[in-house]
Amino acid sequence: MATQAGAPPSVGIVDRWQAARLPLPGWFPWLAGRLLAGFGTVLAVSAIVYLATLALPSDPARVILGPEATDKAVAILREQLGLNRPIAVQYVDWLRHVAVGDFGNSLDSNVPAFGLVIERLGNSIALMIFVLLVTAPAAFLLGVAMAVKRDSRFDRTAMTLLIGFKAVPPFAIAVALILLFSTGPLAILPAVSILDPSLSPFAQPLYLVLPATTLLLLVLPFLTRLIRASLTETLEADYIAAARLRGLPERRIVWRHAVPNALPPVIQGFAMATRMVLGGALIVEVVFSYPGIGSALNAAIETRDIPVVQAIALLTAIAVVFINLVADFATVLLTPRLRTTTRPRLRSGTGARLRLRAGGA
Amino acid sequence: MIAPLLLDRRGLLATAGMTGLGLLAGCGGARAPQAGVDEGKPRRGGRLRIGTIEPTQAGNLDAHKPVGAGIIRGWAIYSKLWEWTKACEPTGALAESTEIAPDGQSVVIRLHQGLEFHHGKTVSAEDLVYSIRRISDPQLASPYAGLVAAVNRDTIETLDPRTVRLHAHPGKGLVALMDTWISFGGIVPTDYDPVHNVVGCGPFRLKSFKPGQRSTFTRFENYFKPGQPYVDELEIIEFKDQTARAYALQSGQIDLADLVPVEQAQLLRRSPGVKVVTSPTNNVQSLDMNVLHPALSDVRVRQALRLLADRPDLVKRALHGEGTTGNDLYSPHDPTYDHDIAQRAHDPDKAKWLLAQAGHPSLALTITANAAGAPAALVFAEQARKSGLDLKVERLDAASFAVPAPPGRAITTGGIPARGFLASALHYDAPDAIINRTNFHDPRFGALINAALSQPDVEKRKPLVHEAQHIQHDRGSLLIWGFTHVRAAARDTIGGLVAEKTQFGGWRVDEFWRKDA
Repeated sequence: MATQAGAPPSVGIVDRWQAARLPLPGWFPWLAGRLLAGFGTVLAVSAIVYLATLALPSDPARVILGPEATDKAVAILREQLGLNRPIAVQYVDWLRHVAVGDFGNSLDSNVPAFGLVIERLGNSIALMIFVLLVTAPAAFLLGVAMAVKRDSRFDRTAMTLLIGFKAVPPFAIAVALILLFSTGPLAILPAVSILDPSLSPFAQPLYLVLPATTLLLLVLPFLTRLIRASLTETLEADYIAAARLRGLPERRIVWRHAVPNALPPVIQGFAMATRMVLGGALIVEVVFSYPGIGSALNAAIETRDIPVVQAIALLTAIAVVFINLVADFATVLLTPRLRTTTRPRLRSGTGARLRLRAGGA
Repeated sequence: MIAPLLLDRRGLLATAGMTGLGLLAGCGGARAPQAGVDEGKPRRGGRLRIGTIEPTQAGNLDAHKPVGAGIIRGWAIYSKLWEWTKACEPTGALAESTEIAPDGQSVVIRLHQGLEFHHGKTVSAEDLVYSIRRISDPQLASPYAGLVAAVNRDTIETLDPRTVRLHAHPGKGLVALMDTWISFGGIVPTDYDPVHNVVGCGPFRLKSFKPGQRSTFTRFENYFKPGQPYVDELEIIEFKDQTARAYALQSGQIDLADLVPVEQAQLLRRSPGVKVVTSPTNNVQSLDMNVLHPALSDVRVRQALRLLADRPDLVKRALHGEGTTGNDLYSPHDPTYDHDIAQRAHDPDKAKWLLAQAGHPSLALTITANAAGAPAALVFAEQARKSGLDLKVERLDAASFAVPAPPGRAITTGGIPARGFLASALHYDAPDAIINRTNFHDPRFGALINAALSQPDVEKRKPLVHEAQHIQHDRGSLLIWGFTHVRAAARDTIGGLVAEKTQFGGWRVDEFWRKDA
């Protein structure tokens, strides 16, 4: 669009930063774009979940009131809940309320949906932190050791164990842990994690041990093998061979040159593991009665509790988008080639490309 | 529709008992023999932790529309006009007397003196009027309003500060009122609010409520039963999974578990420190035949299906032997039940003949089942297949199952807890049944039920009920193949849990006590 004579030309945020002589990182426009895309993703997820929940067979009013309610009572409740309005109107109305922080009340429990969900999400995040605090260093150290001693007896034994844990269903691990540490002769841990809602999960660490161990055994094989593969590939790169030829100590080669370059795909894997723990912990929540977000979502869908389903979908989508963003951002910062470009190419498949190029990036 | 029964809290806690109401003053029912050893004198103190199963609905705190785990919370917070004896007979609780008029058209209810709500207000007739008007308020949309639909909410009389008279709608009778109003008839004060002023006159005051997790309660010192409840604090902890709850009981994280499935009962019986109490009940197990279905509109087809049912085999396989066989009639404990009607036998040959007569020698039908009813549906389908019938089983989740059945649906699994005959009819097949899933409407049967609902005299009611039961047996729409036992489990340190006829002893939170207190 042409500018009018005498009017200042339109300038973008990048130009203004540069005009103010503030150094703007090259990746800044990418980050802003990712934030906008993340916002769009969250909105799209909320709309899809809303439609999907209403598309389920059955009527929320009937589900809430149960089979003994008369049709007249169900019709009145439908009217009171506004379920007779067009779906688009219901969704826009929901969005309008969410914009001012009102997520509505749970249809099932008649308590604010946000309060109910945020507490469950807090419990899930606490469990996730607990798991990752242990898993990350364990997987990292084990993966590095296996890569450095690849094809040794230690590597083969560790790999066999990891594949074994990966092959066992999580519920079987959970049950085995309960039998071993709770109801068997070695009764030293609580069998189920019935947290006291008035206390922080971190104030009740004993309740976290068994669910966290189950998740650890679920995530550890994946992360460890990823780290091992990435580092193995890096250790075979030409510049590592050159370093060895120059006589650098192996320890220095591994920790100063190989490990940092093997990190980007590991970060993506770590983000994936985080999402697994956050969203895929339902089996653990059920087996241990852990009050997390997964079982809350499951129950809300079963009861067609739309405000709770929507609140969980929205908050979970925000959490997943945030985790992805942090992982991508960290990858960009740790990869010089990406750090210095204005258009970092971080789409699906990036992890594979990065892994291939890990040695020469 | 009829509530699914197996492990369904809503169903199991719904009203039950005998319909021999008549003139009931004091309502002192006969006591059933109690199972178990003498546990000694109850001790006071300590905390009781009840683990309850509710896979989906966390429920609310509303006295008049409790769902899911809200039902057991309701027993802790709210007291009712009546409650059940262990023989499943209605007996007075807050009501000092209940007097039904000879024509069954009105009932006078008198409250005990000196009753008190948790916030100190005296329980009065105005609270009683408020409570019945609230549960029957169309705008509240209580799922249980249909159970008190016979009461005319606009003509309630207050006779004195403790006494009210309820009138029936024209043509209705109130004989079954006590049976239908017990579970969800919590008496609340006129300033009641189910969110901000959760007040009743039950054995415990609400302390905290975390939906889907746990609720905590403290003892109400002015509870109307002297010396009760026995424990100082009560926790109701919600579980989504039976196995997790069993582990919690074994490891001592909870003290009591209700509605224990038969598979886990075997395991828990072998667990040290855990006892399992089995209550033989008359909880109905049925296959409900929709008479609007083209084939099932023919009584010969319905009778053939009844003859195809091998009932002992159904009890053995679907209930793991923990139940008794049925005769296509509900409420065998009712004093008006006709025990002279012969038990229907398994007769596949006669069934085939009837089907041939009806023009359906190779009939194909679908049984729609929920999770609880699926085992019985599968067993029955297998039994029927031997006689050439093609019965498919369609399993639905709880939400989809709760929707009113489409006219084309043939058979659904069903069941209700043990109620008196008239209360059961008001659920199943009476003219004013709240959920008539089978669409059975027989003019003579309807007239007999309406007459019985207005006849408080048991002896005069008997011939009416007997004729109605003959109609049900000869041309009805229910295949009632059995009645199930109900199990509860507790740590050995818990006293007060005994076998009884009310399906679920876990509701007696005012009777449990700790031996280690």
